[in-house]
Amino acid sequence: MRTITFDIDRFDGNRAWTQSYSFEYAPGLTVLASLFLIKEKQDATLNFTASCRSAICGACAIRVNGNSLLPCDTRLDDALDQWKSDKLHLSPIGNFPVVSDLMVDWSDKIERLRRAKPGLHARKEFTAETGCRQSPAELALIINQWDCILCGCCASECNKLSDDSKDFLEPFVFTHASRYAHDSRSADGMLHVKDMLSNGLWKCLHCMECVSKCPKGIKPAGDIAAMRAMAVAHGNTDGPGPRHAAAFRTDLENTGRLNEVKLVPRTEGMVQAATERMGFTLRMLERGKMSVTEVTELYLTDNKPIEGIEGLRKIIRSEGTPK
Amino acid sequence: MTRKFAFFPGCVLDSAAREARMATEAVAARLGIELVEIPGWSCCGASHVQDIDPNAALAANARNLALAEQLGLDVLTACSTCALMLRTARQELLNGRKNDINKVLAQAGLEYKGTAEVSHILWLLADTAAEWGPQVKNPLRKVRVASFYGCHTVRPPQVMTHESHLDPHSMETVITACGAEPVLIPDRLKCCGFHAVFPAEPTAHRLTASAADDAKKGGADCLLTPCPLCQLQLDMYQPDARKTEGKGGDTPVLHLTQLVGLALGIDREKLGLSRHIVSTESLLAKC
Repeated sequence: MRTITFDIDRFDGNRAWTQSYSFEYAPGLTVLASLFLIKEKQDATLNFTASCRSAICGACAIRVNGNSLLPCDTRLDDALDQWKSDKLHLSPIGNFPVVSDLMVDWSDKIERLRRAKPGLHARKEFTAETGCRQSPAELALIINQWDCILCGCCASECNKLSDDSKDFLEPFVFTHASRYAHDSRSADGMLHVKDMLSNGLWKCLHCMECVSKCPKGIKPAGDIAAMRAMAVAHGNTDGPGPRHAAAFRTDLENTGRLNEVKLVPRTEGMVQAATERMGFTLRMLERGKMSVTEVTELYLTDNKPIEGIEGLRKIIRSEGTPK
Repeated sequence: MTRKFAFFPGCVLDSAAREARMATEAVAARLGIELVEIPGWSCCGASHVQDIDPNAALAANARNLALAEQLGLDVLTACSTCALMLRTARQELLNGRKNDINKVLAQAGLEYKGTAEVSHILWLLADTAAEWGPQVKNPLRKVRVASFYGCHTVRPPQVMTHESHLDPHSMETVITACGAEPVLIPDRLKCCGFHAVFPAEPTAHRLTASAADDAKKGGADCLLTPCPLCQLQLDMYQPDARKTEGKGGDTPVLHLTQLVGLALGIDREKLGLSRHIVSTESLLAKC
């Protein structure tokens, strides 16, 4: 008999422990069906949430070996094959307070979701009589984001959120803001982006955990990038985030290559670069990362333009570049 | 082995991470891998340009790929963010953007056809480890190495398809081929913080200190990364991270090809091992 073991993180409100459950392997089980098997046959006190069992309600998200997924949409065979083991460690999704065992508390997350102002504030020309018509091309811009089922998988391993959630929001909040900001029926996309700017829009680390973990193929990191572009287009160009991105864009057009020496003053301003980064600069010079001559030359002049720079400039300046 | 690639070095291999270029070229030469630098390659956008001008980022990378195609070769990078940017652009181009971007490229006399694949030197070295393993002259038997993959080496899996993003092994394959002992640390698939070091500096410092400390606690002699941006973050900013977090500070951080170069017996000077902020001397004493 092939035996499968789930080591499950338990929590009863006071005490936390890990409990092992073993059961006989059966082909065709999902991870969620395995959990129901354990609850029905072995331990009725094991708590987890689940509803639709078809990956459309988002209630059952958990972590398997530290990685979030929907157990209703994950075949046990696939999980065992992924980890090349008949023993799996199940725990609640990360970056959420735990209520009991695999159940997490969403109440604070819903409050944070309100910062995206999730709801359509339609353009004035739309009325109850005419409705809010949208072309297929306009719908295509946001249709993927509408698949969000608020399962929380994108937030579970987000490296920024794990470090500090005070100055950053859950990736699904950014996705919700973006889907209204980029909705052709919205009166003012910036209505949804404004509060994202003050809640860490430029603090995303680009770790790509959210894109990797979303069971619906949504790309919250892409939504963050799209809202950054919208914010900059609306004149929100101040701050280290937008200035850093602008420095790369400037170099791309000027010479085709990054000017590392100008990057810091362009991002932080000359005063901060010359004072707070002095230790860093001296360290770089001392260890031979860059020479004084090289630094001076790069600061006073620039990189030599790449071969074909005129062509590159034409390409990236081109009005023909699709918007 | 004889292999030939269109080489996309990326900006940092020509500046602060020049030692990564030295090591990559030295290892390639030793293993018979021919690297033909793409003439006129430009910055990939570094995962920043798309934040303010997504079309410019896509068009610049379409140009990079079109230039590589003129060489009739697949692309090889030694930077994970460059690999992600180029592979993302390739995916977008092949999924509906090729025709409109080609109208723009035509202004510079270029055309993107979609023939060139984009690979990472980590994948090449891992996939061919059995071939080059016998060339290891100096097996690093006393060295314990903690791998630090770097986000863009494995994520997102829709673009970085080489191996499982949840449980990758390519780094450990290369470390083992070098005769060294892999050390699996909890932070091996975590972010280094590099791409947000200015807007989210405290977070970046905490991530850097954590990785350096993790390696030390695991008994590793160094961190090893296939991404020069991770190396820059974990090495250059480790003293700052030490100051704010009280952890790390003395964990050497090697580029992937530096470790391979040491194992192949390549002259240490050619691997740029003195160009590190955190001294590599204690590690080199064991090599």
